Amino acid sequence: MAEIVYAAGAPHAPGLIGLLEAAPPDVKDVVAHTYRSLAEAMASAKADVLIVFANDHLANSRVRAYPDFLIGMAAEHRGPYEWFKPWIGCEDYTVKGAPDVAAALFDGMTRRGVRMFAQSENLKFDDNISVPVLLTNVAGSGIPMVPVLQNCTVPPIPDQRRCYEVGQALGDFIRHDLPADMRVALLGSGGLSHEPGGARYYFIDEAFDRWFLDLVASGDHETLLNELTLEKMEAAGSGGTAELLAWIVVLGAIGPKPGKSFGYTVHKDFKCGVGGVLWDMSPNMPKSRAAA
Amino acid sequence: MGLEKFNPSLATHDLIQDLKWSPELREAFAADEAAVLDRYPLRQDERRAIETRNFLALYDMGLHPYLGGQFARLIFGNEAGKGATVAVNKLVESLQGKGSVA
Repeated sequence: MAEIVYAAGAPHAPGLIGLLEAAPPDVKDVVAHTYRSLAEAMASAKADVLIVFANDHLANSRVRAYPDFLIGMAAEHRGPYEWFKPWIGCEDYTVKGAPDVAAALFDGMTRRGVRMFAQSENLKFDDNISVPVLLTNVAGSGIPMVPVLQNCTVPPIPDQRRCYEVGQALGDFIRHDLPADMRVALLGSGGLSHEPGGARYYFIDEAFDRWFLDLVASGDHETLLNELTLEKMEAAGSGGTAELLAWIVVLGAIGPKPGKSFGYTVHKDFKCGVGGVLWDMSPNMPKSRAAA
Repeated sequence: MGLEKFNPSLATHDLIQDLKWSPELREAFAADEAAVLDRYPLRQDERRAIETRNFLALYDMGLHPYLGGQFARLIFGNEAGKGATVAVNKLVESLQGKGSVA
């Protein structure tokens, strides 16, 4: 039975790269601590493959033909896509793909009643994949990656319960369809509160972000699924905050487990709240902080 | 102002996606915007809103806000901390009531 050895959620705001140098020291400290911790944990996990769920941001498909989940099957993933380079301000990168795992994922999710789409050509990556790949050193580590770009913003949007179900199917696929000795890392890329393209572009909902980080780190998935509605996420930043649904897919795959965050920070120029969570994947952990 | 007015049939969505995906089209748009707009089945009021940089009107017609943000960057600048900041500020100015920010 393959094993999930790493599970994390982290934002991918483009300012975390292009605008980081000009940020205040206390903001930089939280960003550095968060992504360094996630990178070190990923390296320690010695995973054979990393599957990343992230908001597609309307980067790959037209609004009238918009997939809820799009798997990148390429043998090599290159980014960022040309138009996003000056906006992110990052270097070009290449990450090894895992076409066999990607194909198995497509087949396995289809068999489990989850319609995904898959593409062998290089997907167009913006900050969604580029930021975590660079800040957690995926590009340098050599770990093969399967990106899954997700509809978090084109109505109708798969809500928190559907994304959790997709995550449960993902967990079942990993445990039963992948090679028995395979070690799998999962990353949900997106959030925290932000409203890209909206009238409140600079709005960051600090109270929501702190509530969310505490809740996902607690392992209380029942409360999370009851309260993290699309309406609540839209109120915390329309068209952006709902990309936390990528975290929900990861949580569905791992089930209730406690996690830890590495601080929280807000910076106006990032236009996004920043904080990440690493869930404890060691065996025999209590299902929630309350049960510990 | 969120996704409640989203109208997926608005032709401006295709214009923005094509501009994002094609450097050649971006060059053509910069050189002769009217000629590029002629290629898309834009409503009269939709075309007028584009020409006058009236994001508020485009959003009222149903433009997806995420693509609206990208359209602002395509028009006003796309570089982190520079043109992209100008684009965000122009967009917000329009959406918060000014309308045209040409």
